[in-house]
Amino acid sequence: MQQDQVRQYVERYLASFSSHIVEAHPDYLTVKLPVEVDKDIGNRPFYWSWVEKMNLAYQPLILTFAFHPEASPEGQRAEYLHLGAGRMQQIFDSTKKHGQFVCMYEQVPREGLLSSSGRRRSMPLVPWLGLNLKVSLLCDKKRDILLYMGVNLHEPRIVHDFPSVLYRLPLSPAIPDYCFTLERRIAIPQAAQLVQQEVARMLEKEDQTWAQEARTRLEEERAILQAYYEELALREKEPEDQPEESSADHPEPEDALPEEPEIMNQTVEVPAQTASLDEYRSSGGRILDFLRANGIPVTPREQIDQTEWRKSTPSEERQRRMEELSWQYEPRIEIKLINAGLFYLHSTPQTRRIL
Amino acid sequence: MPNVPFSFDTSWIEPLTTRMQDDGPWDKWELFKLALEAEEAMAVRDFDQLQCLKYLPGLTPYPHQLDTAERVLNEMRGRAILADEVGLGKTIEAGLIMKEYMVRGLAKKILILVPASLVIQWTKELNQKFGIPAVAQKKEYMWRQHDVVVASIDTAKRDPHRRHVLDIEYDMLIIDEAHKLKNKRTRNYQFVKEIHKKYCLLLTATPIQNEMDELYNLINLLKPGHLGHATSFSSNYVEGKRQAKNNEQLRGEIEKVMIRNKRSDGGVHFTSRRVQSVPIELSKEELDLYQGVTRFVRDQYYTGSGGFNSLALITLQREVCSSKEAAFMTLYNMHQRLPEGSELREQILELVELIKRIETHSKAAKTVELIQSINDKVIIFTEYRATQNYLQKYLHDHGITSVPFRGGFKRSKKDWMTDLFQNRAQVLIATEAGGEGINLQFCNQVINYDMPWNPMRVEQRIGRVHRLGQQRDVHIYNLSTVGTIEEHILNLLYEKIDLFEMVIGELDDIVERLSLTQTLEENLVQIIMDSRSPGEMAVKLDNMGQAIRAIRSAKPSRTLAEAAEQ
Repeated sequence: MQQDQVRQYVERYLASFSSHIVEAHPDYLTVKLPVEVDKDIGNRPFYWSWVEKMNLAYQPLILTFAFHPEASPEGQRAEYLHLGAGRMQQIFDSTKKHGQFVCMYEQVPREGLLSSSGRRRSMPLVPWLGLNLKVSLLCDKKRDILLYMGVNLHEPRIVHDFPSVLYRLPLSPAIPDYCFTLERRIAIPQAAQLVQQEVARMLEKEDQTWAQEARTRLEEERAILQAYYEELALREKEPEDQPEESSADHPEPEDALPEEPEIMNQTVEVPAQTASLDEYRSSGGRILDFLRANGIPVTPREQIDQTEWRKSTPSEERQRRMEELSWQYEPRIEIKLINAGLFYLHSTPQTRRIL
Repeated sequence: MPNVPFSFDTSWIEPLTTRMQDDGPWDKWELFKLALEAEEAMAVRDFDQLQCLKYLPGLTPYPHQLDTAERVLNEMRGRAILADEVGLGKTIEAGLIMKEYMVRGLAKKILILVPASLVIQWTKELNQKFGIPAVAQKKEYMWRQHDVVVASIDTAKRDPHRRHVLDIEYDMLIIDEAHKLKNKRTRNYQFVKEIHKKYCLLLTATPIQNEMDELYNLINLLKPGHLGHATSFSSNYVEGKRQAKNNEQLRGEIEKVMIRNKRSDGGVHFTSRRVQSVPIELSKEELDLYQGVTRFVRDQYYTGSGGFNSLALITLQREVCSSKEAAFMTLYNMHQRLPEGSELREQILELVELIKRIETHSKAAKTVELIQSINDKVIIFTEYRATQNYLQKYLHDHGITSVPFRGGFKRSKKDWMTDLFQNRAQVLIATEAGGEGINLQFCNQVINYDMPWNPMRVEQRIGRVHRLGQQRDVHIYNLSTVGTIEEHILNLLYEKIDLFEMVIGELDDIVERLSLTQTLEENLVQIIMDSRSPGEMAVKLDNMGQAIRAIRSAKPSRTLAEAAEQ
């Protein structure tokens, strides 16, 4: 994202919440944050829970965003916004939160509603499910493929690059006069299944070298570990550590481990994270209660034990290392929804298949 | 894709269906589009290309740093030893790699273990330079609550912290000053070995000191078995303790896990150093004191009649070169420790009398003159707090603003003092320990008020200022009082071994190769204290200087680290 794109993006974001722009300078923007924006990017959750509990009038936050690092307004605190800025991330997250599900209708021009005989007739609109997906190919590296699909829910079929069609159509959140919607012959879960099959079909045609390479690396690394631990086990009978290390030129380091009986390492009780703070708050909970329930308890003094320490056995070590290898290299594919929408269309998108 | 496990997220079906049943609430079309555009901006389109730079508009890494980041990502798969020579920016390389994995969504939970003195600096750099929300670990809950935690290894290995650290699966583990983990029998080593990690970076400032075992242990932390079992490693690669065999093959293996950029590779421009000795003529009274104290120290050193330990005497000898204030405190303490009526008490009181008689302070006066002529930010280094305090007052009396800096300051106070120096004061007066972990590149004028007898410390002093990021030539002024030991030391360091012309890190290597049984400093002390005449001292120092020069110009024998470097 170039800086002018960043600015455009932020302006559109603020406009969607009808934010009051205090000053629009070519290099910066001063804005009074509306409530929703403030809650998402204002970094003051405690303030908000206080205002809401006490039923107070809130003081809007006024921020100045600068778009060029050198050109910030004089005598005013400005925040440099760029793709990597933390605030920009918050704005992105906010759009994802508020731009998740839409329902839009294609507007039909009035002429279109007139039959050849000049009589007004009602117009059918076809229901479509638009799914924007992020497909991540993962191993020790990662690549994303974005797939935008549309499913005709009336006569089941799939089109690709659905938004490019949508963006050319006049859409509105309300159903236009004299239009009716056709029935959905398949339910959403079925549509999702169709899409899943389509994605699978496409991925099969994708270049798969990355996954093969990752597997080969994994196998190589595994073989090295295997050999190493086998040799270690063999020599374990003639304990590996002692003879080699107690040679005279290795003075015993101060914090060398004393020989200790084997004790199991203690584990920690960590409360399971039930819900995120945001979810908790939006369901009406108090922040302090949330923190109390989800906080990490401080280990009581009497439970602290410096002497207890156990070195992993070679086989535990090997197990752990093997797991780390799979974690690092094992190729896998994750498909996540970016956002989805129901679209009632009069026009007919062409079935275009890429790949 | 055949055989590649494939997960299709369906958690959205239910909320969407609910909204369809209730016909809303629906989100805005514009925000829907913006959300999609956000994903487009953030999507990783390529397996191999660095993505992090588009998130870091304020950062311009050097080419070798970018190369390193790419190699770690693409060839080493996120497990590597970064062993650049000092001053080439290992922290930047680690930051780039960390950011890259974060941007790609491959690393979230990250642990950075560093020496305690560097915790705040790391935290600050990651936040400011990389926009990585790292926190310095202070409380127990922080291990869990925060994703990127910087902590000292000595804290982390202790209960109850250890339980948390060993219980968490870290996407990435970074260890600074990793050469401290060379011995596998230490608790630190074994603790690090127990940590669950996916990616791992080991940063080491000094080259792995050419010891075969140490290198083996470090690599085994990163990738157990990469060099085979310890015994087969020895038989395959080890000739002697410091001598490798099968160099080619070993180099190949090491290259797979370690990157070492050197200054001599070029690509990085360092400004030059301009060194100047500033001779100072002592007044008669000052010279009397110097000679009086020197005589006293010698007497006691040989006869031992006062029962002083030699360390105290050496200290006194050093102090008197720095300032009368520094010497006074030690003399006072010696006096108090002697039994009443001792003859030595008389001698010491005589020396104190000499101090009282001094009205001028030639060194301080020269310093003020120097600062005024420089007319820019200046750092003054001294070894002694008494000198530091005195100087601060002296400069104040001459209308020069200064701030003190000591190793004993808390980190926050150090930062504050650095800040004051940068924005308010003209002079920073630092004692030796104040040097570590602080960057003062905005200043390019250094006065060595007194000379440490340990050349490494001289280098550390200069290293604070003369490093990557210094834009201007660095000026170094060495104050040298004519006719004293200081003059001899400076002569050795400056004339004989060209210390000030060396690049950072070079001395390290040389000392390493000298294979001294004692440290360089101990050798110096011995020469200075044991010589019966200034002439004898001069000759011995000269010999030592020649030995160092010889090593410096000699082609080093092929050792392990070099094998890895080529």
